[in-house]
Amino acid sequence: MSETGNQSMLRTRGLRKEYGKEASLVRAVDCVDLDVPAGETLAVMGPSGCGKSTLLHLLGGLDRPSAGQIWLAGERIDQMSERGMAALRRDAVGFVFQAFHLMDELTAVENVELPALLAGRSPRAARRRATALLEQVGLSDRARHLPSQLSGGQRQRVAIARALANSPLIVLADEPTGNLDSEATLDVLQLLDSLHQAGQTVVIVTHDSRIAATADRLISMRDGAFVDDTRLTGGTVGNLGALAGLDG
Amino acid sequence: MGKLFIVSRLVARDLRHRPAQAVLMLLAITAATTVLSLALALHGVTSQPYQHTRAATRGPDVVATLGGATGMGHIPGHAPSDFGVPTPRQIQAETRSLLSAPGVTGHSGPYPVASVILRLGHRAAPVEAEGRDQAPAALDQPYLTAGSWVGPGGIVLERTFAEALGASVGDRVTLDGRPYSVAGIAVTAASAPYPNMCFSPGGNCVFDLPTLSSVGSANIGLGWVTEPDARSLASAAAPLAYVLDLKLKDPATAQQFASGYNVAHPLAGSGVVTSWQNLAYNDGLLVQDEQQVLTPGAWLLGLLALASVAVLVGGRMSDQATRVGRLKSVGATPGLVTLVLLAENVVLALVAAAVGLCAGWLAAPLITSPGAGLVGAPGAPSITAADAGLVAAVALAVALASTLVPGIRAARISTVTALAEQVRPPRRRGALIRISRRLPAPLLLGLRVIARRPRRGLLTAASIAVTVTGLVAVLTFHATAGARLNPASSGLGDPVVDRDEQMLVVLTVALLALAVLNAIVTAWATVLESRRSSALTRALGASPRELTSGLVAAQLLPALPGAVIGIPLGIGLFAIANGGRTQAMVIPPAWWLVAAVLGTMIAVAALTAIPARMGARQPIAPVLTEA
Amino acid sequence: MQQEVVLALLAKEPSHGYQLRARLRDALGPLGDAMNDGQIYVTLARLEKAGQVAVERAAGMPDRPDRKMYGLTAAGQHRVSEWLAEVSWPKPDLAEFHLKLLAAAAAHLADPIAIVDAQRRELLRRLRDAQRAAMAEPRESEAALLLEGIVLRLQADLRWLEACERTWTKRKANSRGER
Repeated sequence: MSETGNQSMLRTRGLRKEYGKEASLVRAVDCVDLDVPAGETLAVMGPSGCGKSTLLHLLGGLDRPSAGQIWLAGERIDQMSERGMAALRRDAVGFVFQAFHLMDELTAVENVELPALLAGRSPRAARRRATALLEQVGLSDRARHLPSQLSGGQRQRVAIARALANSPLIVLADEPTGNLDSEATLDVLQLLDSLHQAGQTVVIVTHDSRIAATADRLISMRDGAFVDDTRLTGGTVGNLGALAGLDG
Repeated sequence: MGKLFIVSRLVARDLRHRPAQAVLMLLAITAATTVLSLALALHGVTSQPYQHTRAATRGPDVVATLGGATGMGHIPGHAPSDFGVPTPRQIQAETRSLLSAPGVTGHSGPYPVASVILRLGHRAAPVEAEGRDQAPAALDQPYLTAGSWVGPGGIVLERTFAEALGASVGDRVTLDGRPYSVAGIAVTAASAPYPNMCFSPGGNCVFDLPTLSSVGSANIGLGWVTEPDARSLASAAAPLAYVLDLKLKDPATAQQFASGYNVAHPLAGSGVVTSWQNLAYNDGLLVQDEQQVLTPGAWLLGLLALASVAVLVGGRMSDQATRVGRLKSVGATPGLVTLVLLAENVVLALVAAAVGLCAGWLAAPLITSPGAGLVGAPGAPSITAADAGLVAAVALAVALASTLVPGIRAARISTVTALAEQVRPPRRRGALIRISRRLPAPLLLGLRVIARRPRRGLLTAASIAVTVTGLVAVLTFHATAGARLNPASSGLGDPVVDRDEQMLVVLTVALLALAVLNAIVTAWATVLESRRSSALTRALGASPRELTSGLVAAQLLPALPGAVIGIPLGIGLFAIANGGRTQAMVIPPAWWLVAAVLGTMIAVAALTAIPARMGARQPIAPVLTEA
Repeated sequence: MQQEVVLALLAKEPSHGYQLRARLRDALGPLGDAMNDGQIYVTLARLEKAGQVAVERAAGMPDRPDRKMYGLTAAGQHRVSEWLAEVSWPKPDLAEFHLKLLAAAAAHLADPIAIVDAQRRELLRRLRDAQRAAMAEPRESEAALLLEGIVLRLQADLRWLEACERTWTKRKANSRGER
């Protein structure tokens, strides 16, 4: 998936988002420069209120920046028309929300196939893709269940499957485990890891260090700006032994 | 009192927090209260109008017409040549015998009546000019609604006649060529209203056919002049007749008195006697006509107004659930919670009732001026305190009914459930969802909007059905009236039809206004309620155009069957209002009906598209991230 | 590793040294790979000296330790029951890092925030490894539970480091303001 290693999948320059005026001006995102190559999993961490969710909304076309430029797969998106943004969200971006945001009256498989139907694929093809995705996330036995009949972790997995429906160029996840317990978090972790192995470009916003640890690269954010940018390459398992209390 | 403070603060906050929904609710209830106020005002005026007039004019129990050329009268069994013009002595003898008849306790007149042709501008009409004293009479004194009483050179016109003629106080007219001015306009209980003065059973007109044919209109009007003027207007071709008003000891026996006298004196030269019951009946015919138009119209308006309210009520309850949960979680009792929910709607209802009463009071004269000859209180038809109370009670009842059941249910459910917004999750309509999968995006979205609230779809269909029913009834009226119209009329036209048409215009305008309001209310409410799922759908890639089209489709899909059903319903409504006389009815041409349906569809689409488009362009992120 | 662990492993039945080694390996998973193979025999010798373990049978040559079969003595069994009932928990070692930061700040040797960041990065890397290892294990394996424990401990430590960063940043901002 990272054929042109130099070609970045996602790029921003001078990105800004402000609310309010003058005295009550809030800089949610303050002059952010970002480069995400294809196939990379990037984690953005920071305390609550630091603007990381706002940043993700801007990257996903859910909100318009106050200033700055954003390029997705080489195309400039911050000035796009509303219709262009809609096409973007449909084909290029898959969004995973903290609150899952599944349609309550649709079954799991109907939720997953919805983006494909909106993109104009035939109902049969959309259903096939949805079923395959549900199997990929390990929920094929719950395909006909309503969200109210699913646990939090299962709902989030359905949401992730939905985000993949149209084979997006990039998956954006906003606190994907924010509402989940540890076991559900583990399921989502494994899913994100498998996405990573498959070469999907992923940007995750999180305050859970376990999620951040699955990433190739970690950016720390505070007060709307990036304060740290680290590549996470590992040590050896031997170090872990010490953490477990093995002196051997 | 602390409770009252808390409740009022919560209500004020919520109204400020969600102004759009409060405004919608206010509009819908105001529409309902306006319609109700109008109906009440009109009812007060049109029920028993004759009794009002009779009381205000000190109307007679019996009216006798003596002398004159009774060419218009036709008494079975006698040839026209049997009729001749009575002499003054014969008239005096008649008068004496009438005055001395048993049961007569008082009288007024006899007043001389001249038959003249009145011309106003290019219009001409035959008029019976009654000569009166300037001093008010004890019996049968016409009640002035404009201008002043008779004076030399002035004529006071009867109100229904003046309306048909288009005359107002101060106009210059000629009576048989002589210049007069319209001194005033009055109503009387001693004559049937125009144009039925002569064509009613027991009518007592004194014109003759040749004169009338020269004018080209058979409808005779009534006016009053001074007595000397009346005598001077008499001519050899049109000699004076006389009108005598009688008061009976027992007014209820007037009918027997009149028929007894007419049977005993069948020949011309003798008088024709009418009872007040006959006159009341004639008056009633006019009112009946009006009510045949007003009553169905009022029902249609009422239904539409109710539909608007029902739409909103259904929507508001679901988002009250979270408030309920929060209130309960801080310790509010179920009673307090219900109180808060109710208080808000009660405030809105009272405001709506007040606005509706004012609007109805202001609008009533627009409808009642065509219904002339009706005397209520002087000036505009009033809304009594009882009426105001009724309107307020209905508004409150609507607010209560809409809040009570869901409110009690919401207050009873567990706090946890309420907080989790499970009060009324959209029920799954599997069939609609399955069908929508195979359709292009706008229809897919539209069908799913309907699937979330199918009852709203039914309401939309019903509202459009009511609207089209009204439109088609009006079109049928026009088609039927157009076929009936006499091309050789004098330009005055048939006032009954005129009056009905005027009322219909007003009612149609009101119906269309309510229909527009209903469409906007429904569209707006739907947009507000589906904010979250619309934002989500857009986040998944639906374009604003697809979303707007979807919402429009969600309105049009139920509207179409409603409109189609409205056609036969409208024709049926006209038939019923017409008294079941289906043979006389003319069904409007097909292209009128198609145009009505198409026009309605286009209007619904346009009215829905505006709020839909506004909603489809809102920023997505804030909607999805709010709690 | 505590001697008592070896004692407890012998509680079920007497075992050879290599059997004990195998069971440890299974229980520790990938972490057991780094274990020193000879360590267990040292521990067994110590325990024998302490009288908690006795050699049951010596088949073959007595100089080759893996031929020996070890079993618990009565004292050993008693010690095992005692040990099972003990609730002491591995002790944390936060004080060292805490003092490191204070010393660095006081002597202006280094920026405490930089120290915290560097430590965070290291812990994150280890967390990544632990997580990888945990996910590589089959779900129901015994080692998976151990790895989960490591992950959660690292997570807790990372949270503390974030708190350190917040506090030291505030301290820096205040002191700058004071100047």
